[in-house]
Amino acid sequence: MSAGRLVLAVVGTAVAAYGGFLLVHDRLDDLPSALVWLVGGALVHDLLLAPLALLVLALLGRLLPASWRAPAGVAFVVLATVTVLAVPFLGRFGALPDNPTLLDRDYTTGYLVLVGVVLGLVLAGALVRSARRRSRPEDLSAPLDEAPADRRDQTRPDTP
Amino acid sequence: MAVRTPSQTDFTSRLHSPAVAARVGTWLGITFGICFLTGLVSHWAQVPDPLVAFPTRPAWGYRVTQGLHVITGTAAIPLLLVKLWTVYPRLFGRVVAWPPRAAVVHGLERLATLVLVASGVFQLVTGLMNSTQWYPWEFSFRPTHYAVAWLAIGAIVVHVALKLPAIRGAYARDVEEDDPDHPPPYDVEHSRDGVMSRRGLLRSTWLAATVAVVATAGATVPLLRKVSVLGVRTGDGPQGLPINRTAVAAGVSEEATGSSWRLTVLRGDSGRRLTLDDLRALPQQTVELPIACVEGWSASATWTGPRMSDVMALVGTSGADVGVYSLQTRGAFSTSRLPANFADDPLTLLALEVNGETLSPDHGYPCRIIAPNRPGVLQTKWVTRLETL
Repeated sequence: MSAGRLVLAVVGTAVAAYGGFLLVHDRLDDLPSALVWLVGGALVHDLLLAPLALLVLALLGRLLPASWRAPAGVAFVVLATVTVLAVPFLGRFGALPDNPTLLDRDYTTGYLVLVGVVLGLVLAGALVRSARRRSRPEDLSAPLDEAPADRRDQTRPDTP
Repeated sequence: MAVRTPSQTDFTSRLHSPAVAARVGTWLGITFGICFLTGLVSHWAQVPDPLVAFPTRPAWGYRVTQGLHVITGTAAIPLLLVKLWTVYPRLFGRVVAWPPRAAVVHGLERLATLVLVASGVFQLVTGLMNSTQWYPWEFSFRPTHYAVAWLAIGAIVVHVALKLPAIRGAYARDVEEDDPDHPPPYDVEHSRDGVMSRRGLLRSTWLAATVAVVATAGATVPLLRKVSVLGVRTGDGPQGLPINRTAVAAGVSEEATGSSWRLTVLRGDSGRRLTLDDLRALPQQTVELPIACVEGWSASATWTGPRMSDVMALVGTSGADVGVYSLQTRGAFSTSRLPANFADDPLTLLALEVNGETLSPDHGYPCRIIAPNRPGVLQTKWVTRLETL
C-alpha cells in the first residue's frame, strides 16, 4: 500500500472511530436501538431487497421477449429504487391527525402517475431506438442494447 | 432439493463489475460528501454555544444547505441500491481463514465493508424517514444521525483507500472493458452478456437519481412543487405556510395565549412585562424570510413585528445572547438560545403577523421568533419570556 493510501486509511479509521466514540460516549442509552437499525438495515438489504431484485430480474429475463428486456431493465432500475424511496410516503406513517400540512398530497395517485410516466418514456425511447436501428442497421452505438460484438470479444479474453 | 449458500461465481452478469461500481461509487462519494458537509453546517447552527458564532447571512443560507442535504441524500438512495446490487456477489466471496495474517486482513476488510454498508444504509433510511417525520425507533434522531455520519464518512474514506487501485484501473479504460489486475467477481469463463450494457446500467442509474430528486425536491424548491409527487409538503397551509408542530401537539392552550398573556423581558433582576398592544406600539418591521426546517422542507413568508433588538432595548441590553422561552409544554425545543449576532440583527423579528395576518395559533400566536439563516426548530413559537443570558 502506498504512503498516500495508508494515510487515507488511517485518517478514515480515525474519523469513523470518532463516530463510534460519539455513539458510545454521548448516546449510550440510544446505542441498543441504534445498533438494531444499523445492523438491521444491512440485513434487510442483503437478505431481502437484493434477492428480491435478483428474482424479479430473473423473472423479467424469462418472461419477456428479448427485444423488451433492455427497456424493462431501465424501467426496473428507476422504478425499483424510487419505490423503495416512496415507502414512507405511500404508507403516510408520519402523518399527524392535527397537522394537515404534513404529507399533504395524494401520494398513491402521484406514485402511479410517476410509474406510468416512466414506463411511457422508456417504451417511447425503445420504439424510437428500434425504428432507428431498422433504418440504419450499421449503428452499433445504441447504448441500451447489448454491447457491440467487436467490443465483447475484447473484454472476454476467454472467447476462442 | 439441495440448498447451499451461493458463491460469487453463481453471478454471471457482466454488470457486477468494478467498472460500474467505481463510477456509481464516485457519485455516491460526492453525494455523501455533500450530505456530510451540509450536515455539519446544520449541526453548527444547532449547537447551543458554538466556538465560532453561526453567521446570520446569507438569510437564505440554511434553506439552501439543508435543502441540499435532503436532496443529495435522496439522490443517494438509488445510487446506493445500484452500487450494492453491483457488488452483491462479493458478499459470497471465499472466506480466507488461513494463513492467520491473511485471515486477519480479510476479516478487517469484511468489517470495514460491514461498517460502510450499515452506516450508509442507516443514514439514508433514517434521513428519509425523518424527512417524513416517521420515527419508529427509540434513539434520539439528531445526535444519532450526527454520530453515524462520522462513522459513514470515515468508512467511505477507508473504502476509497482500499479500493484506489481498482478505481484507477476502472477509470483507465472503457466501462465495458475489465481491468485484468482487478477482475470482476463473477466467473469470467461463464459470464454472459445481458440485455443491458454497463453503460446502459449507468445511464439508468443517473436517470433513477434524477427521478428521485425531481419527485421529492418540491418540498423546498418552489419551481418543482407541481411535479414533486413525493414532496413531503406542498408548501401550502393556513396563512400560506406549512406547520411543523401545531399548538395542540405542543400543548399550548388558548387560555395561555388569551388576554392574560404577557411577554416577560428580563435582564438579570430587572424586567418588563409587555402586553400584545405594547409590542404592536413598537416600530413595526416587515421582512421576507424563509422557514427552513431540519427535515428539509422550506417555504418563504412575509413577517411583521418589532425587531428583537428593539424589544431587548426596553431593558437596556444589546450584544448579549437571549434565552427564548415558549409556552410549549410538550416536545423538544420549548426553549432556544438566540446568539447575540442574531438578537441584534435588523432582520430578526418578534413576529406578530405572517403574510399580512395576525399569526394563527399554529404559527405561534401571540408572537414567535423569525431570524435569518436559522433552522426552523429554533424559530421558537408562542414566546412567553425573553431573558438576557
